[in-house]
Amino acid sequence: MRRFEIGDHVTVREATTLFHHRTQAYTRGHTGVVVEHRPEWLIPEDEAWQREDGRVEPFYVVRFRQRDLWPGYTGLDRDTLETEVAEGWLVPAEEGMQ
Amino acid sequence: MSPTHDHDHAPIEAANEISEFDVLETAIRELAIEKGLFSPEDHRRFMEWAERIGPHGGSRLIARAWLDPEFKQRLLADGTETSKEIGIDWLDPTGTGTPSDFTYFYVLENTPDVHNVIVCTLCSCYPRPVLGQAPEWYKTPHYRRRVVRWPREVLAEFGLHLPLDVEVRVHDSNQKSRFMVMPMRPEGTEGWTEDQLAAIVTRDTMIGVALPRADWTAARSPAATPR
Repeated sequence: MRRFEIGDHVTVREATTLFHHRTQAYTRGHTGVVVEHRPEWLIPEDEAWQREDGRVEPFYVVRFRQRDLWPGYTGLDRDTLETEVAEGWLVPAEEGMQ
Repeated sequence: MSPTHDHDHAPIEAANEISEFDVLETAIRELAIEKGLFSPEDHRRFMEWAERIGPHGGSRLIARAWLDPEFKQRLLADGTETSKEIGIDWLDPTGTGTPSDFTYFYVLENTPDVHNVIVCTLCSCYPRPVLGQAPEWYKTPHYRRRVVRWPREVLAEFGLHLPLDVEVRVHDSNQKSRFMVMPMRPEGTEGWTEDQLAAIVTRDTMIGVALPRADWTAARSPAATPR
């Protein structure tokens, strides 16, 4: 059961990154929109320890506006960046952050 | 300082430092050889093959998509499955692809409004079964850090200046998927065959740092650059 639908605004959590993960620092704390669903995959946090029976989560393609990711972005307002994020790293965007 | 080198600076670091991953690769390879899993000859033969795959598979996919709208739709809908139509099986590492457990392949279509470019900021993920080995610059921290932060400037350094009404969309390949850009078919290619079209779909046009042109193929000598 997926938590987010295409078009939902989501914020990447500022979560603990003590061990392996693949959620880039530049996306954490930032809000984007879900543009595609990906399958359910073994999350990198468990895959890194070769836990083949580890946690599986739905993944999402999240599209960010570049100006929302970078202070003083020098390109255009329409420029975007997409990357894949596991569901556990996402929370619904807060009101007013859309 | 020498007579021909009259300024002082810190020593330039050797570029051939061996990384932890190089050490790990060598250690595992030597253990595998000692254990008899494969021979040094097997390894050499494999590397010779893997390093010459090249971007021909990707070029073929794009050229066919330009000519066949139904193929294009299939390719955009399911890159992994559609690659099999040209003999590249992402699910069979010992087929014509390179070994990879990353078998979700997505083709990103450029349009008059959107230009796509790929990067892997966390390491060097690259769609090897269709593009072969990544170019050195693709793997450098220099490209990986900067193309997400200053994409238009980095593309300009490659000679690609995009119009202001085009959205630049960077794809940071950080999980299981691998991406390849489908450039737009350039003018001046009307009536061309699939082979002719494939020749102008060069590696860099499928990474997204260049656009194909009717008067350019990767086989041409750079000295002959048309202006």
